[in-house]
Amino acid sequence: MTRHSTTRQVAAALGIVLVLVGVIQGATVRPAEAAAAHAPISGAGSTWSSNALDQWIRNVFSNYQWKISFGANGSSAGRQEFANGTKDFAVSEIPYDLAGSDAADPRPSRPLAYMPIVAGGTAFMYNLQIGGRRVTNLRLSGEVVAKIFANQITVWNDPAIAADNPGLKLPAIPIVPVVRSDGSGTTAQFTTWMRQQHPNVWNKFCQDAGRGSSCGITSNFPIVAGSRAIGQSGSNSVAGYVANPQRVGSITYVEYSYALNARYPVAKVLNAGGYYTEPTASNVAVALLGSRINEDPSSRDYLTQNLTGVYNSADPRTYPLSSYSYMIVPTTADYGFSAGKGRTLADFASYFLCEGQQQAETLGYSPLPINLVQAGQAQMLKIPGGDPQVKGINQCNNPTFSPDGSNRLANTAPMPADCDKVGPVQCTKGTGGAQDTETATSNGAAGGDDAAAGGPGGAAGPGGEAAAGDGSTIGADGEVQLAYAEPQSLPAKGLGIPLTVLMVTIGLALLVFAMVPPLAGTRRRARRSGVPPPW
Amino acid sequence: MPTEVIEHREAASATPRKLSTVRGRQDVLFRAAARSGGTTVLLIMTLVGVFLFVRGFDAITDAGTAFITTEAWSPNEGNFGIAAVLFGTVTIATIAIVLAVPLSIGTALYISEFAPRGLKRSLITIVDLMAAVPSVVYGLWGFLWLTDAILPIAEWISTHFGWIPIFDVDGFEPGDPLSTTTVFTASAFIAGIVVGLMVTPIASSIMREAFSQAPVGEREGALALGATRWGMVTSVVLPFGRGGIIGGTMLGLGRALGETIAVYLVISPVFVIQPNILQTGTNSISSLVALRFNEASEFELSALMAAGLALFLMTLVINFGASMVIARSRSGAESEG
Repeated sequence: MTRHSTTRQVAAALGIVLVLVGVIQGATVRPAEAAAAHAPISGAGSTWSSNALDQWIRNVFSNYQWKISFGANGSSAGRQEFANGTKDFAVSEIPYDLAGSDAADPRPSRPLAYMPIVAGGTAFMYNLQIGGRRVTNLRLSGEVVAKIFANQITVWNDPAIAADNPGLKLPAIPIVPVVRSDGSGTTAQFTTWMRQQHPNVWNKFCQDAGRGSSCGITSNFPIVAGSRAIGQSGSNSVAGYVANPQRVGSITYVEYSYALNARYPVAKVLNAGGYYTEPTASNVAVALLGSRINEDPSSRDYLTQNLTGVYNSADPRTYPLSSYSYMIVPTTADYGFSAGKGRTLADFASYFLCEGQQQAETLGYSPLPINLVQAGQAQMLKIPGGDPQVKGINQCNNPTFSPDGSNRLANTAPMPADCDKVGPVQCTKGTGGAQDTETATSNGAAGGDDAAAGGPGGAAGPGGEAAAGDGSTIGADGEVQLAYAEPQSLPAKGLGIPLTVLMVTIGLALLVFAMVPPLAGTRRRARRSGVPPPW
Repeated sequence: MPTEVIEHREAASATPRKLSTVRGRQDVLFRAAARSGGTTVLLIMTLVGVFLFVRGFDAITDAGTAFITTEAWSPNEGNFGIAAVLFGTVTIATIAIVLAVPLSIGTALYISEFAPRGLKRSLITIVDLMAAVPSVVYGLWGFLWLTDAILPIAEWISTHFGWIPIFDVDGFEPGDPLSTTTVFTASAFIAGIVVGLMVTPIASSIMREAFSQAPVGEREGALALGATRWGMVTSVVLPFGRGGIIGGTMLGLGRALGETIAVYLVISPVFVIQPNILQTGTNSISSLVALRFNEASEFELSALMAAGLALFLMTLVINFGASMVIARSRSGAESEG
């Protein structure tokens, strides 16, 4: 026993020496690295924006080898870590010290600027089935959305939901609202909208939750005990919770891209123009034309948004819960923010304000409009140590830019289909991550009783299996139409045998790698001492 | 001659001879290092406690005794307390321990007494490896896989034992096709299972150590008197290792009380005392701190620190209790010294 402990001590001492040597070497090497142009930077914050940000970080690393790390731990955490000086930048949906907020979130002493990074829509992703088939064309009005999350509408066959969905015969299953349990910018955006557009619903909910008569804008969504609401931490968790096949009846609020990734549908939300719309890139771009941005550069909250105009925009192409998120960047070189870091951050900003925006649409976001890009470029110049390239309209490659300075994406945004208008007709096309899955409706005068009976045959599941068959749908004009579908074979999403074998081999090798040293050690010790091991 | 000796002894007892120890340099250095190590640990513990108390002082004085009895958590409105979170913490830890103790006693006994030599080594390595898996991995596993896998079990328990109040689930009607199983997700039961599996390796390592130290002589004695192996285990190994069992359990309990990230990922936090363990919604002090820390105003932070202090004190009491129990037992007296 004593011999073992001495060996262990020697090993520990050796370990410490090695670590120290490593640290000293690291310390001596570091000044050489600092002279290099781009120092690694780290940031934290919004999960709402993280899908876009992660993609950009991968892009700039593979093209320019700039090292940027981003921890998607929620906007609140991001703002806090930036204020403490532990991160070089933060990403948040709301600014510091937001008016009407329930929590004190003071602006830190660290000098900062807000820079818009990406626009998008807060979507309502849901998991609902009728007769064993997934519903993909749900429509909800704002009031209904607010009441669902405020536990005032608790079953799917509530008359208010039925009024929004004349083509669906909704089941009597309970609604399970899934909300964020951590401090979240998505929650802050959602409650901003609820508080402003549906104050009665929101204030009553606040009372139920024991938060007083008005709880203001909050990043922590209240969960009323005894309700069916479920809290989960992070956008991935709420989306993952809803996207589980067992969770029929659940609905959550999350950035559109998460619904696309999960291949689940999102609810179309009624806008002030009388149409139910989806948070597509163009609908968000049109909606943001209505946002009033603080354009006073001397204001501390320069470039922060006032979304009242977005919520109430009468353009039929508007998605009402559209917004954009900010990057919070330092404007002085303190808290260890070196010139090298400034260089990386400024060049990264120059990249994502222009080229990066091209990918926004495929990722489930909307590109920033030209006025926000230009303002963002002005903010980017305030980053100490940066020397970014300010790209004009011609070099920027931002899909919203057109030579005359208007928003090309908004100009070319398609009008919503007639079946998305308020009325007795409902579109059958899928939404969000389930675009290809149609949902049968019993529309118009000839509407049958059983909505699920006329299911179109071509409804292929996201797993890629092909379905075939004839099915009759009842068209918008009430005539019976015959739909015919060819059997389709979709490329399999499996891994293939070589990859599977490789993965299993790697797994086994790891296991062996972890287990051999201790086993060999005990065996050798036992042999050397000539007695069996002490257990 | 004899009288002289007696006189000499009397003189010695009147003024005791001074014993001065001359220590070598190595010895002095070692004593200094060991002593400073021990003192530092105590000092850090005290400082953590003092820090929590100082930072939490505002909240504690503001709330007074209501801090213990209030369930809600809205420090900004002045209405907050740890009743709900404390209850949730204890619930989760209790479920974890109920699961972990039989599992770890079984594992430890099998490894130390029954497993064949070759298997024994790999089992020890695997159990130690399990202890080294980060808690976030357990949390993700609980969130992504266990929740679904455990739902039928939770449903079964609730269907058949729902008449016991703690297994009752609000809003669940057995046999109702329209009812949803979401009422069983994110519950104290699931969080407790995840935490239980996390503390099992540690508890079983300590128990195995204690069992393996049972004196060979007594084991051989029991066998020589005709005991079966099971008889030997119950009459020698288990009584000898009682301290280890209690110590392992208490250490596991301490860890279960403080577990943060796995609980944070699994539960849906609510601020009421939730006695139905299978039902959605529970809470724990450490996950409350993790969830609310980022968004906290100064006073809210103070309230979180006060909650942390409560957890700190509870864990301290449990661990001191455990070390006292261990020190009293035979195996503990040797191993813990």
